[in-house]
Amino acid sequence: MGAWVARNKWSVTLAAIVLVAAYIFYALSSGTALSMYKYAWSYAVPLVLCALVGVVGERSGVVNIGIEGQLLVSAFAGFFGAAYSGSLLVGMLSGIGCGLILGGFLAWTTVKWQMDQIIAGVVLNIVATGITSFYYKPGQVLPALMPHVSIPGLSSIPLIGEVFFKGTGVIALVAIVAVVVIHIGLFRTRWGLRTRAIGEYPSAADTAGINVIRMRLVNVTLAGVLAGLAGVYLSMDSTSSFERGMSAGRGFLALAIMIFGAWRPLRAAAAALFFGFVTATASQLQTEQIINVAPQLVGTLPYVMTLVVLAVAAGKVRAPGAVGQPFVKGDKS
Amino acid sequence: MKAKRYLVAGTAAALAIGLSACGGSTGNSSSGGASGAPADDSQCSQTTVFCVGLVTDTGKVDDKSFNQSAHEGAKKAAAASNGYYKYIETQDAKDYAANIKQFTDKHYDVVITVGFMMTDATAAAAAANSTTKFIGVDQAFDKTKVTVKNVTGLLFPEDQAGYGAGYLAGLMTKTNKLGQVLGLEIPPVQKYAKGFEAGAKAANPAVTVSTVYHPAGDNAFNDPTWGAAEAKKALDQGADFVFGAGGNTGNGALQEVAKASGAGDTVFCIGVDTDQWDTVPAAQKCLITSATKLISAGVTDLVEKSKDNDFGGLVSMGKAGLAPYHAFDAKVPDTVKSKVSDIVKQMEAGTLKTGVTL
Repeated sequence: MGAWVARNKWSVTLAAIVLVAAYIFYALSSGTALSMYKYAWSYAVPLVLCALVGVVGERSGVVNIGIEGQLLVSAFAGFFGAAYSGSLLVGMLSGIGCGLILGGFLAWTTVKWQMDQIIAGVVLNIVATGITSFYYKPGQVLPALMPHVSIPGLSSIPLIGEVFFKGTGVIALVAIVAVVVIHIGLFRTRWGLRTRAIGEYPSAADTAGINVIRMRLVNVTLAGVLAGLAGVYLSMDSTSSFERGMSAGRGFLALAIMIFGAWRPLRAAAAALFFGFVTATASQLQTEQIINVAPQLVGTLPYVMTLVVLAVAAGKVRAPGAVGQPFVKGDKS
Repeated sequence: MKAKRYLVAGTAAALAIGLSACGGSTGNSSSGGASGAPADDSQCSQTTVFCVGLVTDTGKVDDKSFNQSAHEGAKKAAAASNGYYKYIETQDAKDYAANIKQFTDKHYDVVITVGFMMTDATAAAAAANSTTKFIGVDQAFDKTKVTVKNVTGLLFPEDQAGYGAGYLAGLMTKTNKLGQVLGLEIPPVQKYAKGFEAGAKAANPAVTVSTVYHPAGDNAFNDPTWGAAEAKKALDQGADFVFGAGGNTGNGALQEVAKASGAGDTVFCIGVDTDQWDTVPAAQKCLITSATKLISAGVTDLVEKSKDNDFGGLVSMGKAGLAPYHAFDAKVPDTVKSKVSDIVKQMEAGTLKTGVTL
């Protein structure tokens, strides 16, 4: 623990400052602060999940710009699965299943058949928009509301408990767990070491006896589960309807957040929360008509910040070495 | 290996092209009026045969919103005149002119184009086809550019509908806090919003109205997730009425309010454009009323009017008002109902001005 703090002293200090500031704001005006933090978290949930999809993919050496498509199809499948079957569980499973299938499609085409990863992702997005628009049927309703739970103990912590653990949706809880699990997984387990190896220097990993192709296939496909969950969150939890194009660019935003978070799950989650809070602030300023920051400008902030981070931290923050390159066994790379 | 790769790329490309081809085509359908109405549109050029055509914006006639309302109005008008009616669903914005031309080529008597986006295509078609009458729903024509007399734009006093809804909310609010979750900051939406605020303040000077417009341009009317989050924030901050005006974005807000605890008892939502009791069933738990534009009635009236000579101007004002209370009829106190209906009547009569300027 001590060593971990020493290694991450900047992150830990920053987190502590943010936390103290958050509590001060909460003490000053608990109602407004709480509603804004809740807004930030609900904004961040799908972004966190999608950013994790991106992290797992790129750490394994596969660029996934098809997250937007995975999100949209999963939202579609989740909502209509639940509406037609009358069971939320069926809806959730079909949403997750679709995320998995599309992850598999991307993995198979790019890893097995070495198709250009960008093109495969674009194809996925176009097909997703087409299919979900074409088969969309208006006038469907979810059979029930998604269950919301409060975690005993944790939910009574002031602020943090109220935002993250009180009356929260299941998917939001899964997102928290997923961030922690994938972070530890990537940096503390054998799977993580191998994943980072095949994304950094696949031929070396191959020499060391790691099955690069199989590992990439599995990682990219399984990451689809998280994209599926994010889609289900959009159409079944945060709203209760599917609309054409409702993913509204969140898949791409998640990629920006992934880069902003330096391809690390915890930082990506923090970045998503940060942008959520900025959006909440902008909306609050607009509603109270104190200062009218053009909301359009605030919308560009994540992308601008990503550019700034990449420019300032050039060299320190960089993508995995082999990202975007298909691995061919025996080829020099 | 190599061959397989091309096969996949090829299949994917073919699939993408196939789908975009689906998107590009233009669906259409027709329906005759009552018995004795013409069976097809081959006789439309004769003066005795009355033909009505409708071109939708990029949406379908069962969209439970804008296009559907116009479609129903046109269909009704055609049936009333024992005429022939046909509609074309536009799939791509670049087909507007071509779709209108399908009707003008067959000498239809009236062509209705639905939606602000078709303003220019409609004006151009009206200039080129003097024997056909054109009705542009939600289209404001520039009188310096459009000089022909065979076209009119059907506009609505959204501020009046918003005012009525705001008045109701102002009378009924317990917390004196109202929220508005809106789509893009464009004139029709602004008119609803400013009308709502003015109405609420007129009914109850103590209310505060929090107003938020969607930031992005291209999906501002299609982001229910954002709408839901904004509605939740408004509720968390004590609002007990949320006015959701902005297509699917607003619908997201309505649905969020319906999920809140106390929905329909202590917190309420107000829909927009059409009676959203029918269009957003998931919001019925909180939907006390909707601020509506009477598109169907407006279209029917104008089609009827087009049989006489001219429309008498580039602007035809339709009516706006409030939808029925449905299940909330018993929950709204009678005094409130009578006050609100008085206000709506006064606005219709022109004795009460909303004071909304853009």
